[in-house]
Amino acid sequence: MAVMSYARALREALAEELERDDSVFVMGQDVGAYGGAFGITKGLQDRFGERRVFDTPISETLIVGGGVGAAITGLRPVVELQYADFVSIAMDEIYNKAAKWRYMHGGLFTVPLVIRAPEGAANGGGPEHSQSPEAMLMSAAGLHVVTPSTPADAKGLLKSAIRSNNPVLFLEHKGLYGLKGEVPEGEHLVEIGKANVVRAGTHVTVVAWTTLMHRALEAAEQLAAEGISVEVIDPRGVNPLDSETILESVRRTGRLVIAHEAPKTGGAGGEVAAIVAEQAIDYLAAPIVRVAGADVPIPQNTALERFVIPGTPEVVAGIRTVLSV
Amino acid sequence: MEIDTQLSLMREMLRVNLWEERLFRLIEEGRTSGFYHAGRGQEAAAVGAVSALRSDDYLLYNHRGMGQAIAKGVPLDRLFGDFLGMTEGTTGGLGAGIVHIAWPEVGVLGQSGTLGGAFVLAAGAGLSIRYRETDQVVMCFFGEGASNRGTWHEAANAASLWKLPVIWLCENNGYSISVPASSALSTPQVADRASAYGMPGVVVDGMDPIAVREATDAAVARARAGEGPTLIEVMTYRLRGHYEGDPETYRSREEVDQWRLRDPLITFPERLLASGVATQDDLDRMKAEVFEEIQAAAEVALRGTPPGADRVMQGLYA
Repeated sequence: MAVMSYARALREALAEELERDDSVFVMGQDVGAYGGAFGITKGLQDRFGERRVFDTPISETLIVGGGVGAAITGLRPVVELQYADFVSIAMDEIYNKAAKWRYMHGGLFTVPLVIRAPEGAANGGGPEHSQSPEAMLMSAAGLHVVTPSTPADAKGLLKSAIRSNNPVLFLEHKGLYGLKGEVPEGEHLVEIGKANVVRAGTHVTVVAWTTLMHRALEAAEQLAAEGISVEVIDPRGVNPLDSETILESVRRTGRLVIAHEAPKTGGAGGEVAAIVAEQAIDYLAAPIVRVAGADVPIPQNTALERFVIPGTPEVVAGIRTVLSV
Repeated sequence: MEIDTQLSLMREMLRVNLWEERLFRLIEEGRTSGFYHAGRGQEAAAVGAVSALRSDDYLLYNHRGMGQAIAKGVPLDRLFGDFLGMTEGTTGGLGAGIVHIAWPEVGVLGQSGTLGGAFVLAAGAGLSIRYRETDQVVMCFFGEGASNRGTWHEAANAASLWKLPVIWLCENNGYSISVPASSALSTPQVADRASAYGMPGVVVDGMDPIAVREATDAAVARARAGEGPTLIEVMTYRLRGHYEGDPETYRSREEVDQWRLRDPLITFPERLLASGVATQDDLDRMKAEVFEEIQAAAEVALRGTPPGADRVMQGLYA
């Protein structure tokens, strides 16, 4: 195992796949010599040349739609939207073109496209540079939506996404770029759509991803001192959603907390709750609790940002609520 | 222009037209939907442009684009199959009315259901050609109405910036459904916009297949030579409604009649006869042969298999 940052794990994944397959290329705003707004593609243009790693104009529909056009003609584009919030600018290209091109054209094409998009609140990005839009794309049948929470998953999921013949919206959390963790040496692939039981427990199931997965682990550690056993499941993405792993856990613990950064209303937690209600409500000893972002735009002031995005105390409170019944 | 080329333009326009005539019968018989967007009147534009392409060149056709797809070589029985909702159609039975026909082996990449959605895909296909270092080109059809989409700006800018082998083929038929071009365009011609992207913009008589073909030949040669995209605006007219059953309250009978005088299916045969390229017998024989081809294709398609409910969940993911 090597210890590295989430950012470096992403860079290694890109470099390894660029090395491995000449049909892989990287394009987006500032991804060339500059190395990306968050430095993820740093050094890649030097190493692989301007043919493989290049800048685009500020043209999000071109970045994604051009990626679709290249993908259906034999290439494996990895395109970068500078912020995940910008999915809204390229929504037709993501929701209608990337997701549906294969299906609506009779399965005659594959769309091996990866759309990397940094999401999440970090250091006061404000209302249009901090959002976590996974739920917006959850209904885009034909698309995969992936949310790595650790350096190991960042690397393994990105490599799998690049090799996938399906379009993948890869939502990396920019607040996690500096997070360090162990990453297996050598070829490391993580299956898309397979949840990670990050911590085993018996009293309550917490389904959480990206930053909230880490807050859930902190909460679990804190409550362990009181003899409370928390199981933490990271679904690693919302489409495909590994409902089997979640249901199996809930049937054992009888209690469910769902935690994510995105606003509660219309968040992916609602879908998780609905699946559990449909398929395992008889096993629930208490109502489901969602710990999620407030239903407001995210303020730029970091002193206020932290009141919008839930932290460890909110996850602890959520767990106490489901245990109080 | 070579005699053989002129005759093949004629034959292809007949294939487009007789295919569509047969489709109208299927619509009348209730076998497929009247949402079909007829290309009647625009045959010279579609055939003149697409005939300049090779089989391995790419085509993104548009919603009025069955003539474009036929000219590129989509098998006619499969095309009928799409409209009839048969498994043997290119989409495997998904569509009727307005369908997402594709046929990769002749470069037909499909259709964007959202108007102007194909611009950026075309730029991406052009990027792919340049990346793979082949001498293919990509042709993207759109109407004057769709040229107002923001995707046009992003795609046109990138294609010119990167000198991508793209032919932007605008069919200006005067209307985006009901809104006349003069109420939607800030410039007299769509081609006027080409200069903003540093590419050539040409206006061509879209009722003359030879003029369209010559303009497209030049654009294709330029693209293959690595000199970048060209915007071709062909001035044409749709002689039927936006869809079958359109009340057409937005234009006068007189206006339509004026354009009927320029119908390429009347004027082009007249020209071939006048110039001695073909005799009436030649044209009659050609029409009979195409008619046979169309009838045979329709019969094959009508014997097709309607899909079952299991079709719905097939092919979503690779």
